[in-house]
Amino acid sequence: MSEAGKDDKDDAALRARLESLSQQLAQKKEGAQAPNPVGSDLTGGNVGQAMTLGFRVMSEFVAAIIVGAVLGWQFDTWLGTAPALLIVFLALGTAAGFWNVYRIATRPAGPRRAGDNTK
Amino acid sequence: MAAAQGIDPIHQFEVTSLFGGPVGTATFTNASLFMVIVVAAISFLMLVGTSGRALVPGRLQAAAEMAYEFVASTVRGTAGESGMRFFPFVFSLFMFVLFSNLIGLIPYTFTVTSQIIVTFAFAALVIGIVIVYGVYKHGAHFLHLFVPSGVHPVLLPFIVLIEIISFVSRPISLSVRLFANMLAGHITLKVFGGFVAMLLGAGAYSVIAPLPLAATVALTAFELLVAFLQAYVFAILTCVYLNDAIHPGH
Repeated sequence: MSEAGKDDKDDAALRARLESLSQQLAQKKEGAQAPNPVGSDLTGGNVGQAMTLGFRVMSEFVAAIIVGAVLGWQFDTWLGTAPALLIVFLALGTAAGFWNVYRIATRPAGPRRAGDNTK
Repeated sequence: MAAAQGIDPIHQFEVTSLFGGPVGTATFTNASLFMVIVVAAISFLMLVGTSGRALVPGRLQAAAEMAYEFVASTVRGTAGESGMRFFPFVFSLFMFVLFSNLIGLIPYTFTVTSQIIVTFAFAALVIGIVIVYGVYKHGAHFLHLFVPSGVHPVLLPFIVLIEIISFVSRPISLSVRLFANMLAGHITLKVFGGFVAMLLGAGAYSVIAPLPLAATVALTAFELLVAFLQAYVFAILTCVYLNDAIHPGH
């Protein structure tokens, strides 16, 4: 009799604890999600994160220029228009590089547009 | 030879055949061995970690669950709920890159992700899936990815060309970033380690040998961070690109 009462008490205490824990979890989730869309990549003062972001910007910038140059050079070889297309595509590649960097700066961790586009 | 090996920072990236003979198409090399080790380590973590199914997880189960939760929240946050169909792919990719990076930090091991061909194969796989899934799901509408709305018609051809170049540059930047980070980090570690060995053998100068040793310790900690962050960046960019395939058009 007394043991059953003790069990009930334990149960109630456990349930109360579970409730408070899930409440805390929900609060934490909200807190973690709130600053995310703004872009944690840019605001992170952490050296490693900053270096990662810097390296990302550099690699995307350089990659676009290289792709532009290779495309222009290849089209030149195919069409026999020696330096013309190389120059044009090099310029376009540079523009694409700046466009990549601009995109990283405006939406660092990728767009969160799942809600507005899926349905 | 032995002394030169201690100092040569590139030697660690050499792909050699484990069972003798030249390295051909189907040779089992040290790179293959470490790929097998990485996959075995991941399988061990996930299979053994989740086999207990304890309500209160032990260390291994907590690690496995943390890995799952982390990647799942990354996929959900970047590609949305509909991106979760790519979760197995992103998770495998993330775990493989992470474990390659981490296992590569152990001395005398081989870093699989320091080979450009490996990282480029991953990046090509990602972009291939983006293109195939985008065309399969949206057909010609997938090409709207390259045509931003609200642009003046005169400007449109240039914008489309720039968007195409930007798209083509993605696999290159994705693969080169991971490869270069791993390569540069390991070379730096090796060079500083070589400084210690050289200073110790340089008579009176050996008193300053602890300086590069301390730098090596600090760099190792930093490399641990880079190993994790690069795997994370690889996974999150995969999600960003997959998001383009799921929701094309700006």
